[in-house]
Amino acid sequence: MKVLIVEDEKTLAYDIEAFLSKLFYICDLAHTAKAGLEKVEGNLYDFILLDLGLPDKDGLSLLTDARKHNPDAAYIILTARGNVEDRVKGLDLGADDYLAKPFSLLELQSRMQAIARRKFAVNTHLVPLGDFEVDLQKRLVLHNNIEIDLTRKEFDLLSYLLLHNRRVLTRMQLSEHIWGSFADDDYDSNYIDVHIKNIRKKMSAFAAIDWLETVRGVGYKIKKQE
Amino acid sequence: MKLLSKLTLFITLSKLAIVLLFVLILPSLVERIASQYTNFYLREQQKKVMDVIAKNGIGYYLQDQESYGSYTMLKEEYISLEPVSVKNRLDTIETAMRLVEQDTLTYRLLSNTFKIGKQNYLLEIGKTTSAINQYNRPLQRIALYVLISLILVTMLIDLLYTRILIKPLGQIIKTKLLNPQFPFIHHSKKVKTTTKDFNYLDNSLILLMDQINVAFEKEREFTANASHELMTPISILQNKMEMLMADADENETLQQKLIEMMKTLGRLKKIVNSLLLISRIENDQFVKSDTLHPKELVEEVMEEISHRLEEKSISFRMNISKSVTLINLNRDLVFQLFYNLINNAIKYNKEQGSITIKEKFKQGSLYCILIEDTGIGIPSEELNTIFNRFKKANLSESGGFGLGLSIAKSIANYHGISLKVESKVNEGTTFSIVFPKEMLADK
Repeated sequence: MKVLIVEDEKTLAYDIEAFLSKLFYICDLAHTAKAGLEKVEGNLYDFILLDLGLPDKDGLSLLTDARKHNPDAAYIILTARGNVEDRVKGLDLGADDYLAKPFSLLELQSRMQAIARRKFAVNTHLVPLGDFEVDLQKRLVLHNNIEIDLTRKEFDLLSYLLLHNRRVLTRMQLSEHIWGSFADDDYDSNYIDVHIKNIRKKMSAFAAIDWLETVRGVGYKIKKQE
Repeated sequence: MKLLSKLTLFITLSKLAIVLLFVLILPSLVERIASQYTNFYLREQQKKVMDVIAKNGIGYYLQDQESYGSYTMLKEEYISLEPVSVKNRLDTIETAMRLVEQDTLTYRLLSNTFKIGKQNYLLEIGKTTSAINQYNRPLQRIALYVLISLILVTMLIDLLYTRILIKPLGQIIKTKLLNPQFPFIHHSKKVKTTTKDFNYLDNSLILLMDQINVAFEKEREFTANASHELMTPISILQNKMEMLMADADENETLQQKLIEMMKTLGRLKKIVNSLLLISRIENDQFVKSDTLHPKELVEEVMEEISHRLEEKSISFRMNISKSVTLINLNRDLVFQLFYNLINNAIKYNKEQGSITIKEKFKQGSLYCILIEDTGIGIPSEELNTIFNRFKKANLSESGGFGLGLSIAKSIANYHGISLKVESKVNEGTTFSIVFPKEMLADK
């Protein structure tokens, strides 16, 4: 998939590019609205990541212009403004999602995946997870077609781990994904562990869940699926 | 005491003192005037007598008699002439007794000797003291009446005028000192007055308020800008750390260090985010047009947060009626307000503690939600500062109260909700959220 990153903060743009390239996205960079507009005029993208605070033009007006050339792209607004009005305006203008800086690249990936599922109808098939299958579209966990009753948060936690499988996710990263701005800053507290414990309890009743690994002192990860 | 009361009291007392003084000195004053006037009158009479004697000759009056005397029927006045020896020279006015036709009366008496030819004569002109003093009493009374009515009139005028005069002061106090809510968004109008001092006071206050506004505006701007400017670098740091974290998969010590760094960065992020939120609230960036049921809201908050109850085995009770509806508020913000307070109630609770959320109607009509915990409590000396952002005590090692309560306070202020706290160390804390009357929808 092709991604255009319009971000004037070069370091951040390069980091996003490096991160997404590893996930086999093809990235284009633009550091100004002008350069961004030139890119969208000449190319078709699947994702356009748009910073609102561009030096030469407001990101929102670039969004309007870009949509004329790339109406099918998924637009994700990245901004430090975090202003509710901007957010509403951006979504009104056709943005698909909105990420407030600072955001985690893992969160960006998760959002892009969700949009891809929704917009491009990819990944609709079931994702295998040990002896289980996860339906990301319908938000279900199945074992031999029997649904396992997980709470919303438990499912979020599991699917986030699954999306980033083979990567250790810290409690802080997990709680920020699930609670967003409400995530507390006492990261040593064990409320993530409580959720993991519940997930384990519910799922191990059906089959072994040795794929869900605790990394001592760090967090959790889902081992590579065979 | 108010200035007006003081002035009123002063005016009344001073006028009263004047009346009293006047009453005290009036009799002697009137007597004095009467006696002086009598002296003058006697001298005038003497002149007239001398004139008629000069005109008619002394003989016309004496007519070979020893002496001449003339008095009216009531003997209030008399004039007498008699020859005396040369040696007696007299010219006095005194009060003396005289026997007139068997009656002994007290007279004010002018005695004067004069010479015609070789003979010396004594002239006496007298007026009874009772005749002199007969007008004193009514005079005094009238003077007193006139004085009292004049004083009453002036007092009335004084009081009315001072009232008008210091009215601008009252307006200044009302519009500038009592009513305005900080920050002074509504530019206050100048109070109309021709008194220079009040003008000066009013102008100074307006200037001061403007200056405070400017300073406050600057602070808000700074907080907003600083938060924005900090977000991008934090974003970059976070990304780099996450990438490092993924690379350091096998190296446990490196991972531990990275986690510590990420925690610190997470704290920084939380602080900046909180400041940004506070500054956005203070910049009026939220619309207050939502309607919500507090019961649903609290249930939603609990859904987000209830996992944290398990950590300390805290029991939770809620008693809020379904029927209550609150209007004209921002749902997200009020959610955050409840979230922060309940979060604190959990965070600072004890093992096996409890949290109770209940509603109450205060003073009949004010709707109020209480959040009670059985936690560690807040020492009374810290109660006043828990809402202050960056108060030292709030940043103490146990994580302190952080900015959670500052945010709660900002949200409360923004909605006109009053947030109160009562606490006993080691027994628990109760936060009361009192909603303004107009926020409660009619059932």
